Amino acid sequence: MKILIVEDEEGLRESIEEYFADAGNICETVATYQAALAKIQLYRYDCILLDITLPGGSGIDILKALKANNFPDGVLIISAKNSLDDRLQGLDLGADDYLVKPFHLSELKARVSAIVRRKMFNGSNVLNFNELSIDLMAKTVTVNGTPVKFTRKELSLLIYFISNKGKVISKNAIAEHLWGDGIDMANNFDFIYSHIKNVRKKIMEAGGKDYIYAAYGMGYKFADQ
Amino acid sequence: MKLSERYNRVNLIATVVIMLITGAIYYQAISLILTDQKDKSLEVEEQEIFDYVKLNHRLPQVFESKDQQISFTSAEPNSVKREFINTGYYREKDEPESGRGLISSVNVNGRFYKIEIVESKVETEDLIQIIFGITIGVILLLLLVLLITNRLILSRLWQPFHSILGELKQFKVTDNSDIAPLNTRIDEFNDLHQEVTAMAERVKRDYKDLKTFTENASHELLTPIAVINSKLDTLIQTENFSQQQSKLLGDLYGAVSRLTRLNQSLLLLVKIENKLLTDQQSINLKELIEELLYQLEDIFGDKMITISASLQDKEITASRYLVDILLNNLIINAVRHNHEDGEIIINLTEDSLSVKNTGENTSLDNERIFTRFHKSSTSEGSGLGLTISKQICESLGYELVYSYEAPHHSFMVRF
Repeated sequence: MKILIVEDEEGLRESIEEYFADAGNICETVATYQAALAKIQLYRYDCILLDITLPGGSGIDILKALKANNFPDGVLIISAKNSLDDRLQGLDLGADDYLVKPFHLSELKARVSAIVRRKMFNGSNVLNFNELSIDLMAKTVTVNGTPVKFTRKELSLLIYFISNKGKVISKNAIAEHLWGDGIDMANNFDFIYSHIKNVRKKIMEAGGKDYIYAAYGMGYKFADQ
Repeated sequence: MKLSERYNRVNLIATVVIMLITGAIYYQAISLILTDQKDKSLEVEEQEIFDYVKLNHRLPQVFESKDQQISFTSAEPNSVKREFINTGYYREKDEPESGRGLISSVNVNGRFYKIEIVESKVETEDLIQIIFGITIGVILLLLLVLLITNRLILSRLWQPFHSILGELKQFKVTDNSDIAPLNTRIDEFNDLHQEVTAMAERVKRDYKDLKTFTENASHELLTPIAVINSKLDTLIQTENFSQQQSKLLGDLYGAVSRLTRLNQSLLLLVKIENKLLTDQQSINLKELIEELLYQLEDIFGDKMITISASLQDKEITASRYLVDILLNNLIINAVRHNHEDGEIIINLTEDSLSVKNTGENTSLDNERIFTRFHKSSTSEGSGLGLTISKQICESLGYELVYSYEAPHHSFMVRF
């Protein structure tokens, strides 16, 4: 994937770049409105991560420029502004998704992957990982060609893992992904464990390998080691 | 009591009292003057008698007059004292009238006579009655005029005041509209209007400053939190942490997400209180609750909480975002403050939504549970959840009530 990160906060920009670059994605970063505008005129990206409040201008205007030129780049707005108006304004103008700061990098990765998949396959696509195959349209999973029944949350968890394969994902990030940020039970993550146990069991029972590794008490990692 | 009513009452009472006092003084003065006049006329009569006696050396003939009666009676010398008296005046056939008399004495050829001259006071009294009648008439007329004046003129006079009051009632800091200009020549109201306008401007400016500050502060706060969060996410990729390090990282994550939620809750409260979330849509509460229960079923399962829900169809028109938060808060609260093997009973009817849960065996402090940052010692939340729920209910025109009937804590939203 080729990704443009438009973010003026250096610490955040670096983290995002590092997180995406690892898995062989090509990342370019800019910090100002003018630089971003120049980039989008010259190059095409699979996805643009767009901060709204930028030095020199608003990310919304970059989005407008993209749409005015009919550029096909996927756009994910990342902003600390989370009023409904901001969201609607962004989405109405043609952004593909809207993520409110602060977010987990794994969540960002999952959202970007979803946008890119939608752009590339028009939504009806199949996500493959070794012997696993997920039809995102029909929401079905097959392991070595055998259909396996997953619940909605287990499926969501599996897609989340595959989008972040090779990365350690914190329990917090998993909880917020599955239950939304309304969930406020930070000290009790036992229910995450039971979901992960189910996913692991279902894949293995169908003859798949165990790809989920626990990273101490911190989180989990989905990897083909 | 209205100002005009109060003013009217005082005004009327004062007018009546003053009129009555004036009337009494008037009455006294007039009757004094008239009596004095009568006395003078009686003295003239007496003088005439004296003149007659001096000239003719005999008593004048007594004749019947319409308004005057004179009588002579013989008396012991020096036994009669000259004096004016109030007496009766007897006219033939008629009722006795009040009269004024003069008692005097005369010496006719060495014989001593007592003279009694009495004049009727009927005319005087008639006069007084007329005056009194006119006075009463004037009082009544005055009262009537006062009432009408107060009704019509006062209400017109106070009209600018009422229009200022109306503006004040409609005043909202979040609105952009200004206080409407006032068209009056009365200085006091102009002053009042000026001050009110200036105050409104001030309040709006302060509010705007505060709002900008809150938004900026929250934004500035969220950016470093985002950096911390992303750095933590990057950090855990480096792996090979000891168990202790993992525990520390886990705690950091927890603290960061609490900070995030606190910030979001405060922002949300500001928005609800200032009615900044005004989007309206039709919402089926039953579907929303069912969706939420499905979403949370593994969390119930984890605590082995039994859910029983009896849900009727209920459509409301409100902000979807707010209703989501309200339901989330109520149900998550019911889970968080529950114990293992507890139960949650959700009841949705046409008029109300109640969420009951088992929990600690004591009632919560009804006064304080809805105040900001109030939380029980065992709570892990920010202490803002119930405040937010209450505010949401108020902004939607609903009522949120807490009650405890062992063993259930119950929160009820009345539509």
